[in-house]
Amino acid sequence: MTERVINLKSFFEDARAGRLTGIRCGGCGELAIPPKEFCASCQKRDWQPVPLAGAGTIVSFTVIRVAPRGRGGEVPYAVAVVKLEEGLSLLGRVVDIPFEALRAGLPVRFRPVQIDSQTVIGFGPA
Amino acid sequence: MRRVAVIGVGVTKFGKHDRTSAELFAAAAADAITDAGIAPSAIQALYFGNVTGGETERQLHMGPLAATLLGLPTVPTTRFENACATSHVAFRHAVMEIASGVSDVVLVGGAERVLNVPTESATEFFAYCSDASLEQPAGLTFPGVFALIARAHMDKYGTTEEQMAHVAVKNHRHGVLNPKAQFQKEISLETVLKSAYVADPLKLFDCCPFTDGGAALVLASEEVARRYRRPIWVLGTHAATDTMFVHEKRDLSRVTATERAALGAYRQAGKTPTDVDVAELHDCFTIAEIVATEGLGFFEPGTGGLAAEKGWTSLGGKLPVNPSGGLKAKGHPIGATGAAQIAEIVTQLRGEADRRQVDGARTGLTHTLGGNTATVVVSLFGCD
Repeated sequence: MTERVINLKSFFEDARAGRLTGIRCGGCGELAIPPKEFCASCQKRDWQPVPLAGAGTIVSFTVIRVAPRGRGGEVPYAVAVVKLEEGLSLLGRVVDIPFEALRAGLPVRFRPVQIDSQTVIGFGPA
Repeated sequence: MRRVAVIGVGVTKFGKHDRTSAELFAAAAADAITDAGIAPSAIQALYFGNVTGGETERQLHMGPLAATLLGLPTVPTTRFENACATSHVAFRHAVMEIASGVSDVVLVGGAERVLNVPTESATEFFAYCSDASLEQPAGLTFPGVFALIARAHMDKYGTTEEQMAHVAVKNHRHGVLNPKAQFQKEISLETVLKSAYVADPLKLFDCCPFTDGGAALVLASEEVARRYRRPIWVLGTHAATDTMFVHEKRDLSRVTATERAALGAYRQAGKTPTDVDVAELHDCFTIAEIVATEGLGFFEPGTGGLAAEKGWTSLGGKLPVNPSGGLKAKGHPIGATGAAQIAEIVTQLRGEADRRQVDGARTGLTHTLGGNTATVVVSLFGCD
């Protein structure tokens, strides 16, 4: 078994420190988050970690008003799929942007968000 | 591969029950066996679906329990879990067990019970069907997933909240005609549009309810089926998977697993979308029905909203969709849903759907979607 270059644990440790890290396929250049074994595009197993700038634009978003158990105190909150400038997308919590300003194409920037001592992917104003 | 038929169907009333999931399934299964007119001892295997039993009832290993409560304690059982597509996945495997020649008669279905826990708990347990590393911590819920899809569909095609509301109104109108439905009450467009947002742009009445219920089917090989009541043939059944991660979907306005599952099922059946007379498809949220009618090839991409608005998917329309009331009005006990959809199509093709009968229906389709649009099964049925 080959050791993964990054795993979910190291991905979130990086994220907590403000660094967004993806992986790039040595075969076809495909970028991915989270880490995988085989590349879904070319089937190679040859990944290298790649730092991502964290800048992107909103693809789609929603404002959650009914939350799962234990999260009721957080509503309403926005979640968005963001396309990063490197070309891959990532889902995260939207912070510090008024709901009425949210739209597809809005530039945003990655930032870690701490919720109940857990690191969550977040996106704030660009 | 041998031909496979559905020879018996059983569905409990959908709604709130004080019976356990295993009891609900056993009741539906006994009805299905009685409907088939076959001896209980003819059942050679049980394929059983349930999703949240560990969380809501502290009950796992539910297959043997269901078999025991049914009175068939020695039948081999397998438990399936593929989120909301659970019992349609189980169905496909049951078909394969018969088609391959391993068994002649297989019982398949599922049950779910969630109304015994608070809504916020049920919301949490259903969210377990999304990814636990990135999506659950961000607070993504299932209405949230379909809200992201709805927004993408609205941005790309101009689909409106009113068009989505038409799906809810239509399925509630159908539900009135189904005595097993959780809701048997018509609702107005205004009721849907004025209901509170759950996850913008989806409102309360865009969402299917939490539901308790069970559903079961008796499947048989052609040789056995010919000896019992009018068989409804499985013409094709195909499963497709897509990435679990919402952020990895190439186009949020589409469900590519639906498109691939449909392609496989149509090919297997030698049918095209225009051959379908009646469909039961996965309307967990109103937008899901719109996107499914496009992905199944009934309407061009981007026109599913218009189809709902124009009444093309209503009973009496071009292609009646969800005559049972769908998940929206009939209810959505997630482990039972796929089998319940098939039971409705079998009932339609037998011509036994009473007031909600689609006249002259000879080819029917079922479509069930699980989780973050990651699991889809599509099946086609026909009659002699």
